[in-house]
Amino acid sequence: MKEIIKITFALTISCVIAAAAMGLTYTATAKAKKHNHHMNVQNAMIGLLGFGEDNPAPSDLKFLNVYRYIVEDGEKKFLGYMVPVEKGSEEAYEMVLIDLEGNFVEKLEVPISAEKAEEAHDRATALQKVLAPPKIFTYADASVIATAGGKRLGYVLPGQFPGFRTFIHALVAMDPKFELLGLEIMEHEEDAGLGKEIEQEYFRNQFKGKTYEKLKTLQVIKKPLPMEYKKYLEKSKWEDGMFTEEHIAEIRKQYKDADIYAITASTISSKAVTDGVKNVAKKFAYRIGKLDSVLKKEKIHAAF
Amino acid sequence: MAIKEKTNTQLFVDGILKENPIFKLALSMCPAVGISTSVMNGILLGTAVLFVQVCSSCTISLVRNYIHPKIRIPTYTLTIATWVTVIDLVLAAYVPVAYKAMGLFVRLIVAFAIITMRLEMFASKEPVGKSFWDGLGMGLGFMFAMMVLGFVRELLGSGMILGYDVLGFKPLLFFVLPCAGFFVVGIMMGFFNWIEVAYNRRKEV
Repeated sequence: MKEIIKITFALTISCVIAAAAMGLTYTATAKAKKHNHHMNVQNAMIGLLGFGEDNPAPSDLKFLNVYRYIVEDGEKKFLGYMVPVEKGSEEAYEMVLIDLEGNFVEKLEVPISAEKAEEAHDRATALQKVLAPPKIFTYADASVIATAGGKRLGYVLPGQFPGFRTFIHALVAMDPKFELLGLEIMEHEEDAGLGKEIEQEYFRNQFKGKTYEKLKTLQVIKKPLPMEYKKYLEKSKWEDGMFTEEHIAEIRKQYKDADIYAITASTISSKAVTDGVKNVAKKFAYRIGKLDSVLKKEKIHAAF
Repeated sequence: MAIKEKTNTQLFVDGILKENPIFKLALSMCPAVGISTSVMNGILLGTAVLFVQVCSSCTISLVRNYIHPKIRIPTYTLTIATWVTVIDLVLAAYVPVAYKAMGLFVRLIVAFAIITMRLEMFASKEPVGKSFWDGLGMGLGFMFAMMVLGFVRELLGSGMILGYDVLGFKPLLFFVLPCAGFFVVGIMMGFFNWIEVAYNRRKEV
């Protein structure tokens, strides 16, 4: 009996020490890790917009965040968009409240700097000042609008949708006409060799170039991916002279309105991603339309 | 015991040659077979093992008198797991480029037999200084073996060294496939044994 107690005690102490060591390291490294994550997302967004080594991004490329909130005032419900606005040379944020029919309700200045606006906690503190109780606000999501030279280049939407195992975190990029520019899978826990294939180019790149019209009816088909199409989708594996320009144009034309070919033995994951992308894109296109018309009507000079 | 008479330098050199973890002790064969498809993999995994081995050896050696004999294995595992986590977090935070390449390997290390075995055989009995040199030798020995295997397999399998095309053609694709790991490990093991036997024989004459 004494032995057991001794062992239990020793193991508990060891575990506590180990946990403390890991905890301390985590706290010490959390900030740097966050910064890395931010850079990763930034690079992924630049890549999604089609910029890379041979096509460098313009120097005035900016990613502007629009934060969406659900605002409740007693019985009434509004959508609150926290948008970056131009005020002289400085960047400021304004909270634009829109009712559920898409009509403008109110415009509030949010006292926050662009840098701090990226922190969920700082944002909530600043919003508390303008949206005092009984108004309650809940964070919904954030969308990124990429601009360069005063023009919109596209939208990058962080999407989160249930996969086969847990949530799949992805970035969906669209051009101003809501044509898909690309898809990047950021985090997921799908099975290796099966659902994990959603990371692969041959799956992700199938979404590239799908028009908004096609997107609405996009489906997953259980057919083998044609060899030629697969080779075309795996852009990073292209060798010199593998495809001529005409050949590329021909393939692009042939598969432009094709549905998404499911990953072998992972139809659920394939379908989850396709539905997720559809959902994210469709909802955003609807919302940005409403927001844009309100901004125009109320003459709010948004930075995008 | 014979180990006690060894100097630090001997401990260090033995880890690399005479007691090489892969070629002599035949431990941690899974990574040796599975991951040794290129020199770069060998270097990355080797570095990760080196760090974890040295840190864990020193830790266990420091607390060797307080470990209850009945729970020594869980204690070793806990120590290794802690160090792996710490290294994983530090790498992810400060060297993201290396982490991208090494991240998967680092997490694999928790289950490596070589580290647990060195803790059991050496660090739990010897003072910190000696454990450090033993850990360093073993870590480098592992790295050396992985690099040799990687060199052979990368050269013969894809005609490249460290990603640079040296041969200009691919002699035998077979060598980068998993099954070739067994052949290469076996042949290299025999080769190193043969060298040792030959060396000892010459010493006797």
